[in-house]
Amino acid sequence: MTTVEMEDRAAFRTQRRNSALIDIAGVLLTILIALVAAFVIVAMLGKNPVDAFTALITGPLERPNRIGNWLEQTTTLTILGLSVMIPFRTGQISIGAEGQLYLGALAGAVVAILLPLPLAVAPIVATVVAMVAGGVAGAIPGVMKARLGANEIVATLMLNVIIVQIFDYLVQNLLRSETSTAAVSDQIRSEYAWLRLQELTGIPLSRANVGLLVALVLAGLVWLLMSRTSLGFRMRIVGGNPEFAKYAGLPVARTIEWSFILGGAVAGLAGAHLVFGVFSRLEPAMASGLAFLGIVIALLGRNNPVGIVLAAAFYAYLRVGGDVMEQQTDVGSELIIIIQAMIVLLVTAQALPMIVRRLRAKRKAD
Amino acid sequence: MTIDHEGAPGAGHPPILELRGVEKMYANGVFAVRGVDLAINRGEIHSVIGENGAGKSTLMKLAYGLEQLTAGSVIVDGTVRSIGSPLDAIKLGIGMVHQNLELVPSLTVAENIVLGAEPGSPLWVNRRDAADATRELADRVQLPVNPNRQVSEASVGTRQRAAILKALGRGARVLILDEPTAVLTPQESDELFAAVRRLRDEGLTVIFISHKLDEVREISDRITVMRQGRLIATHHTADTTEAGLAAEMVGRAVSLDVERGNPILTPDVLRVEDLVTSHSPDHALEFTVAGGEIVGIAGIEDNGQGELMATLAGLLPARRGIVTLNDHDITRSTVKQRRDRGVAVVSEDRLRDGAALSLGIDLNIVVDRYDRAPYSSWGILRPSVIRHAAAELMARFRVKAPDATVPMSALSGGNMQKVIIARELSSGPLLLLASQPTRGVDIGAMQFIYEQIVAARDSGAAVLLASADLTELLTLSDRLLVMRNGHIVARFDSLDGITEQIVGEHMLGVAAHVDTRGGVS
Repeated sequence: MTTVEMEDRAAFRTQRRNSALIDIAGVLLTILIALVAAFVIVAMLGKNPVDAFTALITGPLERPNRIGNWLEQTTTLTILGLSVMIPFRTGQISIGAEGQLYLGALAGAVVAILLPLPLAVAPIVATVVAMVAGGVAGAIPGVMKARLGANEIVATLMLNVIIVQIFDYLVQNLLRSETSTAAVSDQIRSEYAWLRLQELTGIPLSRANVGLLVALVLAGLVWLLMSRTSLGFRMRIVGGNPEFAKYAGLPVARTIEWSFILGGAVAGLAGAHLVFGVFSRLEPAMASGLAFLGIVIALLGRNNPVGIVLAAAFYAYLRVGGDVMEQQTDVGSELIIIIQAMIVLLVTAQALPMIVRRLRAKRKAD
Repeated sequence: MTIDHEGAPGAGHPPILELRGVEKMYANGVFAVRGVDLAINRGEIHSVIGENGAGKSTLMKLAYGLEQLTAGSVIVDGTVRSIGSPLDAIKLGIGMVHQNLELVPSLTVAENIVLGAEPGSPLWVNRRDAADATRELADRVQLPVNPNRQVSEASVGTRQRAAILKALGRGARVLILDEPTAVLTPQESDELFAAVRRLRDEGLTVIFISHKLDEVREISDRITVMRQGRLIATHHTADTTEAGLAAEMVGRAVSLDVERGNPILTPDVLRVEDLVTSHSPDHALEFTVAGGEIVGIAGIEDNGQGELMATLAGLLPARRGIVTLNDHDITRSTVKQRRDRGVAVVSEDRLRDGAALSLGIDLNIVVDRYDRAPYSSWGILRPSVIRHAAAELMARFRVKAPDATVPMSALSGGNMQKVIIARELSSGPLLLLASQPTRGVDIGAMQFIYEQIVAARDSGAAVLLASADLTELLTLSDRLLVMRNGHIVARFDSLDGITEQIVGEHMLGVAAHVDTRGGVS
């Protein structure tokens, strides 16, 4: 008999609560270790780590526009984290968010540049177009994986390359603005722009916009999808054990396809946020590296919508703080990448929760 | 706890291996072994028995250095030793043969046996010396093997002999055999026992881990019973009875005899005609199962039973032939369509096919019905309904867990199998396809699962039961088919007077083709 079987309900609940706390403690410890290591590295470079860390930690809150930057990045990273989480929970290692984001941004922007629409429907139409485009970009590797047995990592990675090339080509040629010297597209029509938080609150919050609320609502919807719908049930079973899903008669291939399509649609929404909320036009490399951050966010947030919102907020804060640090001290924002790398290593190794558990067990035994 | 040193062979010497106050606590605070005192005498065959999870394997892993003690000591030949790794254990003359035999499949028998102590120079392994050494060792201890055979092509019996030779070749004086007969036919088991006795007579000490009581009583000099990590008692074999040992293992009296009703048979619920599976293209299968009967399928593993069951469940396509369920052709139906028509499946590998281990009991138990009312409507799940239904099934099928949301991975084998049985039988199946339903399940759960399968039969379900355990087949079946090389080589329509020996001979192909259709029924 295992120990769980011998426990009563109350003991089990306590134990489950404890293990959730251990998980959270592990994540916090991960972050702390990464920050301490970064601190030591700065000191070893002969620079002043106290100044650098003061800028990093207090910088983002010092001015409203920095808070705005923080909220804007939180929005993008939350949506991307959620987009990665859906296939992850279905057991699919999709790294296609980048291509899906760009295709969504491209499709949304084309509509928003060329098609005059009434203000009431314009943002919704363009957002739906972006999400459908992202979904299509997700469906391609999804079908390849589910029906043809292609490796989803390779399929999504290759598709990223293709889409990014097409995007760059179009932005630099067909869609290139005639009025701008840089290789960017025309501005989107004004009726498509997402409302800035500055217009709502009167505080100069830079480019932060209603996308933040969209991201929070989306987190709730993704939670509902995974835990309250039969599609989410199928995704969890397929993610838990695809052989079991097959044996139980679940439509495994279709479930995998849906996870890619929905993940792609959410990534397309992230693209819509960048076009309609942040840049108001297409720019080359407008989201470079962001999609891969989505993977970090999903891992750090333990593939849980609430965790992803928190992880995105934390990570966006670091990025904004890193920029402040770079401006105010002689420590470059590359430090943030070091911190990110440490976090990825520690989280993927899952070492810390285990260490916390072991320490607790030892204390209990003594 | 009783430990007696007198009377056993080797009295007067210190025990060759003694565990004193041994404890193993895992990092999560779970005790796998607690306060065990066990003395193994020189030259005895000592069995350690217990249900799954009783701690018997862990105890032996502690002695072999695969797990580290959290308290207590290991004493070899009267000296306290610290055994940090299997290498330490081997140096002290302790060898272990694992249940899954841990050999390298792509190497030959001889190469496996010398692995870790290869003849030749550090850069060059001398294969001929390896083969010669193997042959010499095999002759000396009378365990015949072909040294040049690749392990992946050798039979299970050969692999097991190779694993034993490997331990002996490295100088084992104490040999630990972890559930050695789990994968053997009765005949192969008999050969193993003869070899073990011979080795004992030559001075080897053997520790035999098992949960099969008849075997243990046949082979051992003394028997130690473990339950829930503790040592319950050590007996001389002559002082034991099977019932007594079973009661000590489980903590209460158990019986595997199941009361069976006399249901009215519904003929041909399952009809299999001219069916060719992916196992062997040359052999067509033909049989029927009536509602209200249990038809057993005996056979050495991998003789086509797995493919037959998977084909009937819809997991593998039929190459040819027709399968009907109540006269409805289901040959090309999907798994889902079959399940909707009343097919229930207990698959042989429950970890691979039977459960999603990381998810809760509740999700696992409704996996065949989550998309119907009352569990969901319009694609929206109703988690509280699912949890309540799961809790009710857990109570009815005696699944022991504090909560319906406990992940399957936290359950022991027997309990996990009860969850699967609960799911498959609560759907009220017309046809139950059960493969190895009690493999690796402890005796208490086994009894319960037997009762449930018979209850399904008594209520009119057709049951097709494939098992490697002949006792189980003879206990449960109304009729019996024997499969070998992908076809049905014998068929018993009545099990009166049929013994394990007779069935075993058909499994091995020693006896001629038999069909008792005309004679008995």
